[in-house]
Amino acid sequence: MKQNRGMIYRKAVLLIAACALALAGHFRTAQADPKAFAPQAATSKLDIRIPLQDKSVRFAVIGDSGTGDRAQYEVAQRMEAYREATKFDFVIMLGDNIYGSHSPKDFVKKFEQPYKPLLDAGVKFYASLGNHDDPEDERLYKPFNMGGERYYAFRKGEAAFFALDSNYMDPKQLSWLEQNLKDSQGTWKICFFHHPLYNDGRHHGADADLRTQVLPLFQRYGVNAVFSGHEHVYQRIKPENNIYYFVLGNSGKLMKHDFGKFRERVKGFDTDQSFMLVEIAGDKLYFQTIARSGETIDSGELPRIHH
Amino acid sequence: MHLQACRRRLSLSLLPIFFFSCAIAQKGDENPVKEFQNRIDNYLSAKKKQDITKKPTDSPGKLAQEKQQTTEKTREARPQAQRGDIFTPTVTAYFKKQIESTLHGPDGDKVRASLRHAEPLPNVRLQVNARYPRNLPLQSTPPTLLMNLPTLPKELQYRIVGSTLVLYDMSSGLVVDFIPGAVPAT
Repeated sequence: MKQNRGMIYRKAVLLIAACALALAGHFRTAQADPKAFAPQAATSKLDIRIPLQDKSVRFAVIGDSGTGDRAQYEVAQRMEAYREATKFDFVIMLGDNIYGSHSPKDFVKKFEQPYKPLLDAGVKFYASLGNHDDPEDERLYKPFNMGGERYYAFRKGEAAFFALDSNYMDPKQLSWLEQNLKDSQGTWKICFFHHPLYNDGRHHGADADLRTQVLPLFQRYGVNAVFSGHEHVYQRIKPENNIYYFVLGNSGKLMKHDFGKFRERVKGFDTDQSFMLVEIAGDKLYFQTIARSGETIDSGELPRIHH
Repeated sequence: MHLQACRRRLSLSLLPIFFFSCAIAQKGDENPVKEFQNRIDNYLSAKKKQDITKKPTDSPGKLAQEKQQTTEKTREARPQAQRGDIFTPTVTAYFKKQIESTLHGPDGDKVRASLRHAEPLPNVRLQVNARYPRNLPLQSTPPTLLMNLPTLPKELQYRIVGSTLVLYDMSSGLVVDFIPGAVPAT
């Protein structure tokens, strides 16, 4: 009996010692080369659902991001992990890029600091203006790549992008939009701006008057996809008039349990912050929406619908 | 008798003044847009003499500094500025009429819905030549309403704060003028 007890005791001591040695070894490995350890672990956990085709256009989407809060920073960290794996090289911003005051410190805290790894890696940000943005300061802020304008267009591969100022859609902007959509040779025409044309969120709802003015132009000149923010949730709207609509207003802010009756959305997410990855390759648009937690909450492949 | 003669003389002498003021009012009523645009042109030319050119920059500090300079210089350009300088009574009446007809026109429902959904702002105290209240979001202005108001140069915008229509100078962040009660509650 005594011998048995002694055996059990010795075995337990050996087991504890072995565990201690294994743990010590593990930590030594991690401490010796943290860079080699950490990204490998992060990348191995990444769930990538875009195809990463050669010569495709890859970008990320964020909306209502500029809070300076922890959630914004955590989404930004998640974006950086996906950038390393997917090599997206630009981000479109759907407005409310800087909430509250616009002092120099705010630009750092609410933009430069959270996205520093992305900026350091050469990722370009293209901003559109939200109702919390200062149009004067932000259009002139070079890292937002607005070229000193409230609305502007740019081209990436086969995709043409139109950043609009939905706060102030005056006749001048409408005629600019018409002319630029008409002249564009982009195979894909993508518009992004703050106020959604369709929206199941209860907080703001859709901007019906904006829709009256811009939708005829989108249809006439073959816009393929529209990204908006403002409502602090994620929504994929069922295609309307051969156009895909996404609402992503939760990359910093969040309006939990915001959805009303299911009317226009195919997919919705209102319980955490998120961002999107988009890849355009030929006649397909691939998308993946990723929550702050790392969970993929929506993904898919959308064909280009010919107008 | 003497009193009656005085009254008659007074009425006769006031008659030309009455006709003259009617003529002015009539002229103003006919051209509120022109009157408004003239005042906007005057505002801009006074500002132009003082303004500084701003270029895109990487530095938020430089942005803040330039904005402060523009604000100060714009204020200096019109030190006596007061409410009604741009929105004169004639112009105000015209704007109120345009807003009213937009809100009750064929797209009125949509315009009103947009105003309701655009994160409407409360009525706050505004002052001509003062900074637009810091940290207060800029409520979007419905496109159909903008189509029914006179076009503005690039640096100016119409903004709605509560029930007030504000003429906002983007480059300086200053309130140029405003019409209280122009936008009825929706």
